[in-house]
Amino acid sequence: MKKFLLILSVSSVLMNTACNSDDNDPIAVVATCTDGIQNGDETGVDCGGTCTPCTTAIDNPTSYIFERNGESTVSFSGQTTRISMGQEIIDAMQETSSTAVKLQAMFAHVEGVEDFTDADLNASDKSVRSKTAASADYFSGNATDQALIRADFESWIDGQVNEVFPNWGVAAEAGVAGQIADGSSTRYINAKGLEYNQAFNKGLIGALMADQALNNYLSPAILDEGDNRANNDAGTPAEGKAYTTMEHKWDEAYGYVYGANADAADPNADLGADSFMNKYVGRVEGDDDFAGIADEIFQAFKLGRAAIVAQDYTVRDEQAQIIKKKISEVIGIRAVYYLQQGKNALDQETPDYGGGFHDLSEGYGFIYSLQFTRKPNSEDPYFTKAEVDAFLVDLMDDGENGLWDVTPATLDAIAEAIAARFEFTLAEAAD
Amino acid sequence: MRKVFCLLIFSVVIAACSSDNGSGNPVDDVDPGPGPESFDRAPLLVNWADNIIIPSYDAFTSELTAFETAFDTFKATSNADNLVALRAAWLSSYKMWQRASMFEIGPAETVGLRLNVNTYPTDTDKVDAHVSSGTYDLALPSNRDAKGFPALDYLINGLGDTDAEIVSKYNAGDKEALLGYMGALLGDLSTLANQVTSEWKSSYRDTFVSNDGASATASVDRFVNDYIFYYEKFLRAGKMGIPLGVFSGGVLPEKVEAYYGSDVSNALFLESLDAVQDFFNGKKFGSSTVGESLASYLVALNTVKDGEDLNERINQQFNTARDLVTALAPFKEEIETNTPATAMLLAYDEVQRIVPLLKVDMVSAMSISIDFVDADGD
Repeated sequence: MKKFLLILSVSSVLMNTACNSDDNDPIAVVATCTDGIQNGDETGVDCGGTCTPCTTAIDNPTSYIFERNGESTVSFSGQTTRISMGQEIIDAMQETSSTAVKLQAMFAHVEGVEDFTDADLNASDKSVRSKTAASADYFSGNATDQALIRADFESWIDGQVNEVFPNWGVAAEAGVAGQIADGSSTRYINAKGLEYNQAFNKGLIGALMADQALNNYLSPAILDEGDNRANNDAGTPAEGKAYTTMEHKWDEAYGYVYGANADAADPNADLGADSFMNKYVGRVEGDDDFAGIADEIFQAFKLGRAAIVAQDYTVRDEQAQIIKKKISEVIGIRAVYYLQQGKNALDQETPDYGGGFHDLSEGYGFIYSLQFTRKPNSEDPYFTKAEVDAFLVDLMDDGENGLWDVTPATLDAIAEAIAARFEFTLAEAAD
Repeated sequence: MRKVFCLLIFSVVIAACSSDNGSGNPVDDVDPGPGPESFDRAPLLVNWADNIIIPSYDAFTSELTAFETAFDTFKATSNADNLVALRAAWLSSYKMWQRASMFEIGPAETVGLRLNVNTYPTDTDKVDAHVSSGTYDLALPSNRDAKGFPALDYLINGLGDTDAEIVSKYNAGDKEALLGYMGALLGDLSTLANQVTSEWKSSYRDTFVSNDGASATASVDRFVNDYIFYYEKFLRAGKMGIPLGVFSGGVLPEKVEAYYGSDVSNALFLESLDAVQDFFNGKKFGSSTVGESLASYLVALNTVKDGEDLNERINQQFNTARDLVTALAPFKEEIETNTPATAMLLAYDEVQRIVPLLKVDMVSAMSISIDFVDADGD
């Protein structure tokens, strides 16, 4: 476990720093930035306000608990809501009574419409679709890809309803959609062996959870937007709230990873609380090769949040980079894992088609999610959309029947190409 | 959750030296040992295929034929006597299945025989729906929990509290529908069993026997994995651990095998345990003679654990487990009347103790990697 050294040095080196008394007003407060007492518009002794920003020790709590005046400043109800909506959508994709219209309406929920079984979700003004491929860093200037990605999710819904539902009571075979046994489970696949609900579910882990957390809320473009930094420096809460806007943005990233956990302060106690990012942080944690990753992610979120409270944006951004790297790795590891598991299932004397297709359908979604990863200290994902699209074409085009025809060589090639760009090895991820 | 259990093999260590028990004999330390043991796997595979697996499948298909005959009699005259005879035929076939279930390789693996024959608990709502609609496709994976022995258990033992009540169901308005569905279930069982048996005889037997090397894809390595997987998941967990609540928050007595005729759950378990032990010892089907086996393989490797021959240790553990299970009341009763079900839990612990002996000690000696995976669960 990595230990983060707290920066304890309450910097007292403000001595000779000239005050920024360059305002136009000649009757400005007298410069007092060196007198050893808090006065004028200083927010601390000789710092803040018109003096140089205060540097305070980071008070890193043991759990994700942050308060102002005795009131919690941690809030991410919007993320919890979208996770719940996502869960209802993927559940409804397995109900043959669901129409395409209904599923699309759930995806693009409008406030007050009775799309969900949970009345609170119906009353919400949040929607999954509006935050799918919607990060500031990747999509504010790329409406084209955003539209194409949303169309992919919509096509998976339509495919499920129009291709798979009609064959729900049919045994699947190459070129024929229907049901197939996977151990004691029954899976429902399209004519090419793909489970659309898995593509949707695992695709959303990238397009919603990772994209929003890594490329939106952990981005300086969002954290430091407008006067967020000045307000955070001054400890000025958002209107009517206990938190500063910067604190809240950070927590919204946190909420996409931990929004469904029973105890928000200690989310690693019940990893797997949703079917999305949280679940797969838990799965990767369960692989001995990556044990500790769940705590690394959590510690980075916590220290980064504490750094915001301490107005230490250097430490904040360092933690954001750790989170970007580790969350991206979770996606990469699971993509490789499912490709290898799928290969193992198919490449044997008696191919386990149902099990293999299930793995590869999950893998399909994780490969899709790679385009939403974020290389640390970079503006780029680990794989571009074009690279991801090429992988998915490769996966499905070894023969006319998609996964029914896919070869071990193809699965290895994709898995190797993915692992090569991360710091983990194929062997580490494969089990 | 899919976890691959990868045991790194400590291959030659155990094979060479059996000197720990030399009671201080200093010569042991310089004894180079007998050197790497070799064991010819081909006769082992022949004994398995020709003397155990194929005869077991033959016996199973014969049992099903007798079951169908009893069904025809019951169908013609649905009275209490014929119900008792039908139940006896069901139990006899179900016991024979316990001797065939572990062979989920090749043709059985292709059709997914085990889960088509014995998925329990059965979904009685689904069974009822199929009976009343008369339209169903028993080949669909989603119907595995509405067919096979567990669905037949429901239809033979579960439609009433007494035989008179059950018989009355077969003389009422939906008589034809019930009998029709029962007939379809029997036909499905026979079709699957005959398909697997004939494929073993026509081609797979030679494929299986000729693949006599030592690698992850060789027959011995693969079947030993299947055998241990069966023991761990279907015998130990499925028949005892899951209903006992070992893997869940509370007990699940509704998950015992043969829930409706639940006084036979123990007999099915014991038949299965006997079959697994007989297979371990290479006992030819229907005979008391033994051939090459996992036990003789361990003897050839001179495998010793804690100063005792491993094959003997394993047999002792099978016997200990059997003794404790034999002493139990029907599983459902044990679970429902005792909190906690101490006697059954103690028996389960002995059943569990066989797992590491097979999965760690035996496979280490044989240089076989455990590679099976759990179902994903999502």
